[in-house]
Amino acid sequence: MSPRPYVEVTDLKKTFDVSKPWLNRVLEGAPRQFLKAVDGVSFDIRKGETFALVGESGSGKSTVARMVVGLLNPTGGEVSIDDISMTDPGQRAQRAKLRRKMQMIFQDPYASLNPRWRVDRIIAEPIRAFNVVEGEANIVARVGELLTLVGLHPDDGKKFPHEFSGGQRQRVAIARSLASNADFIVCDEPTSALDVSVQAQILNLMRDLQEKFGLTYLFISHNLAVVRHMATRIGVMYLGRLVEVSDAKEMFTHPRHPYTRMLLDAVPDLAMSGRARIPVAGEIPNPITPPSGCTFHPRCPLANERCKAENPLPINGVACHAVIEGRTLAHPVAA
Amino acid sequence: MSDPVISVRNLQVEFVTRRATLRAIDGVSFDIHKGEVLGVVGESGAGKSVTGAAIIGLIEPPGRISGGEILLNGRRIDNLPPEEMRKVRGRKVAMIFQDPLTSLNPLFRVGEQLVETIRTHLPMNERQARDRAVELLTEVGIPAPEKRIDGYPHEFSGGMRQRVVIALALCAEPDFIVADEPTTALDVSVQAQIISLIKKLGRERGMAVMLVTHDMGVIAETADRVAVMYAGRVAEIGPVRDVVQRPMHPYAKGLMGAIPTLEAATDRLVQIPGSMPRLSSIPRGCAFNPRCGEVFARCHVDQPLPLPVQGRQVACHLYENESIKTAEVAR
Repeated sequence: MSPRPYVEVTDLKKTFDVSKPWLNRVLEGAPRQFLKAVDGVSFDIRKGETFALVGESGSGKSTVARMVVGLLNPTGGEVSIDDISMTDPGQRAQRAKLRRKMQMIFQDPYASLNPRWRVDRIIAEPIRAFNVVEGEANIVARVGELLTLVGLHPDDGKKFPHEFSGGQRQRVAIARSLASNADFIVCDEPTSALDVSVQAQILNLMRDLQEKFGLTYLFISHNLAVVRHMATRIGVMYLGRLVEVSDAKEMFTHPRHPYTRMLLDAVPDLAMSGRARIPVAGEIPNPITPPSGCTFHPRCPLANERCKAENPLPINGVACHAVIEGRTLAHPVAA
Repeated sequence: MSDPVISVRNLQVEFVTRRATLRAIDGVSFDIHKGEVLGVVGESGAGKSVTGAAIIGLIEPPGRISGGEILLNGRRIDNLPPEEMRKVRGRKVAMIFQDPLTSLNPLFRVGEQLVETIRTHLPMNERQARDRAVELLTEVGIPAPEKRIDGYPHEFSGGMRQRVVIALALCAEPDFIVADEPTTALDVSVQAQIISLIKKLGRERGMAVMLVTHDMGVIAETADRVAVMYAGRVAEIGPVRDVVQRPMHPYAKGLMGAIPTLEAATDRLVQIPGSMPRLSSIPRGCAFNPRCGEVFARCHVDQPLPLPVQGRQVACHLYENESIKTAEVAR
């Protein structure tokens, strides 16, 4: 293992200005409003592992992913990949080299492929942009190789995206992400637009490719079962904060943060094992006016006065006063 | 057992297009009894939603019901004139749609929408209807209903909006509800709440519920029986525990294995090769034959009919002998 983690994210913050237009503010006296989409998130990813971020909509998972690859500028904090800072303006030159090593796979394969380009041109684009392979014949050969790798036929390169099904399109997106020999891939809900049988094909493919090329994944999903299948380590997000980071196995057998436990209990029980569950209460609050202290306290069965006042900082991967103080809830007996 | 609330017999739905007539539903049969939840699963294009729409009479041209019959409490409803059907719909059968934002009118307060629906179907004045609306909102778990009844749909969160839609469906105390992907647009923690609400209401009011979803987990939580659909046909139908834990039809087996679960620590998911055929090119014989691992000569020729096997119905030639055995045991 390398001495430093491959990806390091430190105290990452992103604030969006959601104020009304200037004229309204002047006339109505409305104050400026800010939405803290990501509020002090830190984690690291080791080479060759899959780090997953889970959380409900609006928890800031995708915003983190976009800041990690540099599609959004952070308001504060630090991202470094392979010891090169993504945020320091002085390292622009090194960053350019890093670009080819990271790629992104998006949720909707209908929107992420140019409908007017043939698939071979879509896949060849990163090859040409980074001069990975010289010579037209070599590029054609490389594209054919990539298509075979993701389970398509080299002749499929002559087709347009609309001629493919959703799963096949996602395969094309994966082939494109591998075209520049990337070794860090950010996957933002790569299977949530797909049917289960197709989702299984794509997840298996992603694992095979990881084994073959030693890829490092940052995997964003709201589906805990999918995350369980893919991840080595997991970070759980709630309202822009990371509430728990732990080993994937550990997370599912011994969830520590009350929110993680609630999320796990909310997953429909396919095995019908009748495992003990705490009923879920409430909904994710409006992020423009988040609750004071620990943002989870209005929904938390363990909350007390301290949780309302003081924002818990992560200790050993859990940001929760109750866990640190050892407050526990008697687990309900299996129904 | 009592007579079923809804009985679908050999239903066929066709869509007429310029090139060809596409058969979206091909011989689907099932019954749903009082207080029972039938889950209908399948991938996109399997015909789940079309089946639901056919039952409540919402198939619009170029689609049409081309065969079979639908009985509500023993009375045929698939051939009612549109005006008659409009009275049945909402009063006796109701529907909950996937997207709660598009099924509510954004320009009217939720109270007005509830009162309108109640007064259309029940002989009540404005005051009584409003009281009933508040009652319904309380029942579906909306906090402070006297206040929220005057809110507009956009003032509600996704989960709360879906609760309003459920209240709307309950207005006239229907005997049968079609819930078409009621939790797909919601987060898991909210989904769990909506599932238990639908389950509770179905049981308390003795309604028959047809729950259409692509999420097997939701079915396992809610349904009493489940129908697995593939390419417009029912592949397997039976008690939910049997079908989920010991599926028999090769497609049902593949589908269950493809779902990642919290419990299993498998490295690879079961993979069904290929994808669902287009309606214009459904293979001859069994529609699943190009993707099936246990295919044999007969599958390419004969379309398998649903056979009774161990308390369920399986449409697969593999179970021909088993089915005969089951029949003999019964005799």
